[in-house]
Amino acid sequence: MGIISVKNLTYSYDDKTNAVDGVSFDINKGDYVTIIGHNGSGKSTLAKLIAGLLEAKSGEIYIDELKLNQENIYKIREKLGIVFQNPDNQFIGSTVKDDIAFGLENHRVESSKMQGIIEEYAKRAGLEKYLEKEPTALSGGQKQRVAIAGVLAMHPNIIIFDEATSMLDPKGKEDIKALINELHKDKDFTIVSITHDIEEVLHSDDCIVMNKGKIFDHDLPEKIFSEPEKLRKIDLDIPFDLKIVEEFKNYGLKLKSKTQKEMVEELWQYASKN
Amino acid sequence: MNNLVFGKYIPIDSIVHRLDPRAKIVALFVMIVAIFIPKSWWAYLFLAVCLLSIILLAKLKLGFIFKAFKPMMFMMVFLLIVNCLTLKTGYVLISIGTFAIYSDAVFNTLFIVVRLLLMIMLTTCLTATTKPLDLTLGIEYLLSPLKVFHFPAHEVAMMISIALRFIPTIIEETMRIMNSQKSRGVDFEEGKLKEKIQAILSLIVPLFSVAFERAYELADAMEARGYIPGADRTRYRNLEFTFKDGLLILLSFIVLALMILSRIYL
Amino acid sequence: MAIRFKKLSYIYDEGMPYAHTALDDIDLDITEGKITAIIGETGSGKSTMVEHINALLLPSKGELEVLDHTIVAGKKNKGLKLLRKEVGLVFQFSEYQLFEETILKDVAFGPKNFGDDDATAIKKAKEALKLVGINESMYETSPLDLSGGQKRRVAIAGILAINPSVLVLDEPTAGLDPKGSKEMIDLFISLNKDYGKTIIIVSHDNEMVYNYADETVLVAGGKIIYHGDTLKLFNDETLIKEHHLLEPQIVTFKNQLKKQGFKVSDDIRTLKDLAKAITKEIRK
Repeated sequence: MGIISVKNLTYSYDDKTNAVDGVSFDINKGDYVTIIGHNGSGKSTLAKLIAGLLEAKSGEIYIDELKLNQENIYKIREKLGIVFQNPDNQFIGSTVKDDIAFGLENHRVESSKMQGIIEEYAKRAGLEKYLEKEPTALSGGQKQRVAIAGVLAMHPNIIIFDEATSMLDPKGKEDIKALINELHKDKDFTIVSITHDIEEVLHSDDCIVMNKGKIFDHDLPEKIFSEPEKLRKIDLDIPFDLKIVEEFKNYGLKLKSKTQKEMVEELWQYASKN
Repeated sequence: MNNLVFGKYIPIDSIVHRLDPRAKIVALFVMIVAIFIPKSWWAYLFLAVCLLSIILLAKLKLGFIFKAFKPMMFMMVFLLIVNCLTLKTGYVLISIGTFAIYSDAVFNTLFIVVRLLLMIMLTTCLTATTKPLDLTLGIEYLLSPLKVFHFPAHEVAMMISIALRFIPTIIEETMRIMNSQKSRGVDFEEGKLKEKIQAILSLIVPLFSVAFERAYELADAMEARGYIPGADRTRYRNLEFTFKDGLLILLSFIVLALMILSRIYL
Repeated sequence: MAIRFKKLSYIYDEGMPYAHTALDDIDLDITEGKITAIIGETGSGKSTMVEHINALLLPSKGELEVLDHTIVAGKKNKGLKLLRKEVGLVFQFSEYQLFEETILKDVAFGPKNFGDDDATAIKKAKEALKLVGINESMYETSPLDLSGGQKRRVAIAGILAINPSVLVLDEPTAGLDPKGSKEMIDLFISLNKDYGKTIIIVSHDNEMVYNYADETVLVAGGKIIYHGDTLKLFNDETLIKEHHLLEPQIVTFKNQLKKQGFKVSDDIRTLKDLAKAITKEIRK
């Protein structure tokens, strides 16, 4: 069983159509998993179900071998943190340090230990200079860092990013993506990122494609992208580097390289031969 | 919105800033009661001197305090006019033809104005020297004895602090919606009553729908971070009641006593 | 000329100690009938510029000509409402402007404000909804029941129903999924090409700007740094570096090819054309 194990999960907002429809999958410990799909494909609903913010109509969720139910929910919330889409709608404290403290207070961490924990995780999220600032005065990317620091401070095993970069400007997007990659390097966490950013998928270990509430595909990113036509059928696309390979193939050139740098060299070799 | 002074926190360090919020809130209430007791001008002079010294100790600029009076100006002038027209007791101060202004009209107004100004000075002293968060924490502590009667002291304090935290966001949102409706030809300043109602609706409805959306998302975020309403929590900020806080409360009661004495003997 | 800024400055809280110059002596001509993008970092002054075009802000100094209207700093400016009829401004997250019970009523709200009777307003609303691809069967539903992408299209219809000749869109694709973004882009291209509307897009999305904008205005620190052909701007490596612009992916790839020794024409916009040109060069 994976650290997150979902079995035949179904959820409906209106009892007519299922937003999540008979979904099953396992996520391995320490993996960085991306979930892609259109708005309305059920990916955010799935995240809320896993975080116990919605109650499934049927099916089961196991987090670290613990079944998600009313009894276990608070134990599970100590293991699992979630960073939401809108940076403005998730902080409670009037300063950065108070906001990081919010989760600690809820989980009854001793008051005397809080300052140390807050400083440690603020540093990890690159916020050590902003502890006294009001979150409202920060940029979008910095606000998301506050949310991440708040999650990290609770020592979760799993962090879910629910479209955490989609409302940020390019700088903020890069900033948060870099932080996610950095967190993944440590392998202390299992990371689940719900995203529209197809380029981000290339950095992940595992990818789930959702469509109309169902799992459309679940595989290694390179496998997922090996069938562009299948993805395009549900209006999704492939990353830019793979598009380069595809376009050249259309003109009869089969590139073997993976990175742009290698591709350019490979093309140059062809050119020199002729 | 930058001109809004009333209720604004001034982030500097002073002996008043460092006082326990609970002591400050209690002292504020005692002093407000004290303001409404005396009938003698000497007593008000004394109160004014007391407040000025607090302002000096808090390192606040007098200009800042006076700015807080501004919104009240209109009300005071209005009050003076109403009193002049209605109160016809005391002796005549000025008479123009058949119209006369009587002494009681002016003095009564002055009394009310002085009390109001002192009250604004006091509250500004509190809000300017206490972080909103500490203020709510103080309120929570002071209300907690009411928990015996199942009064949700913590939840009320949490609600106040969330409300405070969302004020700038909601103001920004209001501006944006106003601008987008203006672009659709809405005129918020002029128009017939029917048009005005529609204009206000076009602002209020979206504002509510955004506020609800934010509230839902915030509730999710709080729940995901382990918040359970009513459950026991530890605290990052702990209030510490020291000797000087006790002294502040004691002083406020002394002022109150003096005011009562002034009413009896002056 | 559709829109002309003449030595225009805008100062927030003028005369206050915390006064802040958001636009600093700007001169700019935005051409009629084109798609022009305005780019720049958060706080560069691009939103302030846009709010001037719609007379939501009035200049502190200088002049602004929008179509037949002239707005001069310090003078009493009449006819601002008429101006707003001719320049439609679609704000970021415009879906938050929806408030009526039905989609049709909401879209008809704008024309009514500008003096149309009910029947004409409804007629215009229907035309606008058709333009943005909202089905007739949905006219009577509440705008709150729509998906994010649909809501935004209804909001744009609300502006289009006023029939402006200039349409300004602030971050039109922000928060939409790839499919929604694609539909939004197709919509404003069609408004430009098929209906001759002047389109101004304010965006952080340089991929979109590179692919679709005829001209681009780069704003930084309240000044215009560049105004001209979009491709030229993104081919200027020093300008891109200096202003921390995110390079469109294809430009990065083109630059690598150039450095390797390939001859790559500057006016190649799509990956398809690039692949075609390079294979041609290889097989020469």
